[in-house]
Amino acid sequence: MRDDGPEASPGGDHAAGGMHGGHRQGAQSGHAVTAKIVVRDLTKVFHGRNGVATQALAGVSLQVGEGEFVCIVGPSGCGKTTLLRIMAELETPSSGTLEMRRTAAHGRPLHAMVFQEHSLFPWLTVLDNVAFGLEMRGVPKKQRSEQARAFIETVGLQDFSEHYPHQLSGGMKQRASLARAFVNDPEVLLMDEPFAALDAQNKVLLQEELLKIWERNRKTVVYITHSIDEALLLGDRVVVMTGVPGRIKEILDIDFQRPRDVVETKATPRFAELTVHIWRMLESEVRRVRQA
Amino acid sequence: MTADGRPAGWSMEAKERFLAIVSPLALLLLWQALSWLNALDARFIPSPITIFEGGVALIRSGELWVHLGASLWRLAWGLLLGTIPGIALGLLMGLSRYVRAALDPLVAATYPIPKIAILPLIMLYFGLGETSKIVIIAIAVVYLVLINTMVGVLTIDTIYFDVAKSYNAPWHKLFTRVIIPGALPLIFAGLRLSVGVALIVIVSAEFVAAKAGIGYLIWTSWETLVIENMFVGIIVITVLGVVSTFLLKELERVLIPWHRDR
Repeated sequence: MRDDGPEASPGGDHAAGGMHGGHRQGAQSGHAVTAKIVVRDLTKVFHGRNGVATQALAGVSLQVGEGEFVCIVGPSGCGKTTLLRIMAELETPSSGTLEMRRTAAHGRPLHAMVFQEHSLFPWLTVLDNVAFGLEMRGVPKKQRSEQARAFIETVGLQDFSEHYPHQLSGGMKQRASLARAFVNDPEVLLMDEPFAALDAQNKVLLQEELLKIWERNRKTVVYITHSIDEALLLGDRVVVMTGVPGRIKEILDIDFQRPRDVVETKATPRFAELTVHIWRMLESEVRRVRQA
Repeated sequence: MTADGRPAGWSMEAKERFLAIVSPLALLLLWQALSWLNALDARFIPSPITIFEGGVALIRSGELWVHLGASLWRLAWGLLLGTIPGIALGLLMGLSRYVRAALDPLVAATYPIPKIAILPLIMLYFGLGETSKIVIIAIAVVYLVLINTMVGVLTIDTIYFDVAKSYNAPWHKLFTRVIIPGALPLIFAGLRLSVGVALIVIVSAEFVAAKAGIGYLIWTSWETLVIENMFVGIIVITVLGVVSTFLLKELERVLIPWHRDR
């Protein structure tokens, strides 16, 4: 259902009236005006092999606007990764609908995912890893190496394009992962805690780089993290999720000006205020789950 | 210390290499000396020089090449006929839960049978000719390759399948870019084990029923008490093992470059 345009959408037929409340045709300015992703009443139940059912998501509804950077933050087990995996079509929802609307011309993939660390193929060089998505789409070898090399340079790995992942540091691996997703020029970028395993310094560097690349083309991004800091630094909106089962607790608009400087943004009083606010919310939740 | 600051004499590495070469040579010298002194009974333990002369005679008469050729021919066919279905079945079992459920008990039940124990049965079905020797190698090898390939596929991290799926990898790309390279290190481990087992099996099979081959050479030398030729046979089969292991390692370096400096 996701590969269809706004009009012909078999999955979204019944919802065509009320579902896209904020959607106005032709209005492209400002975020959250044109809905890019519409999630409605999503639930997901996993059935274990021993017959035990686990509910990962319960009635999650969310709209992500065209060109919006949305961060989803929550403790582990809150279903945020499941939600992202459903958006990436790696899982199917148990009930509810998810619509991702194609607005660009065909030939561009609708979405690409940046995974947690260790997702580069150990048997492919950096160049082949970055060109992987292009290769899967049947882009001729010469053209895809050219495109891949351009993005490898963007993330500063030009001297390592013939290296294998095990020869790279954690930060370099995630740079390559970013390049692998960006080179496909997807309409939506889905990111699953891509910098979680990095040390603090590398994390800041990569966050800055991600913001820099993003400022250039303003793709729609859904970014999963368990770090409140990271969510506030990167997002236009922060979705706070709690579990178990996963549901959305609150959605906050983040109004730090762009382009953002990671270090300076962190030093503002507003940043501290928001951090405390989200932390209080999650803290009570984590305690509640613990006692249950 | 020398004038330019380097420690005098050899580096530790050079010393180690020196010792590695010298110690077997010293042993050979000792052996030869004991033979000259008649401390070793030449009827049972011929001297290194006698063995060398025996080897030269076998090479001159062309006899050694006949035996070596016969064994190599059987090994090549046996390995080929064992590894190809082994890899194919291993991939199927690794990829399909149902194929695995169907074949796992069969494999588990028949794998522990010492393969040389069924040689008489194989000869009954395939005759005394080349076929039975090729078949017994293939049977011995197929299990090792199959089990290693299956485990190789099963231990590919699921995240790689997720990545492939998220980029809409067509199945043939999934196969050539994810499954095969992911399982390759363990497939190679299976191949290396196979070569070792194939050498054991071929020599044993040639003891019993053959008109040529290294095993046949060792066995007839024993029957005619030409002990130096027995030693020649043993040396040849050992060299075969060492050379094939070396070639496989080199092939592995070329085919699995991402494992090289681990």
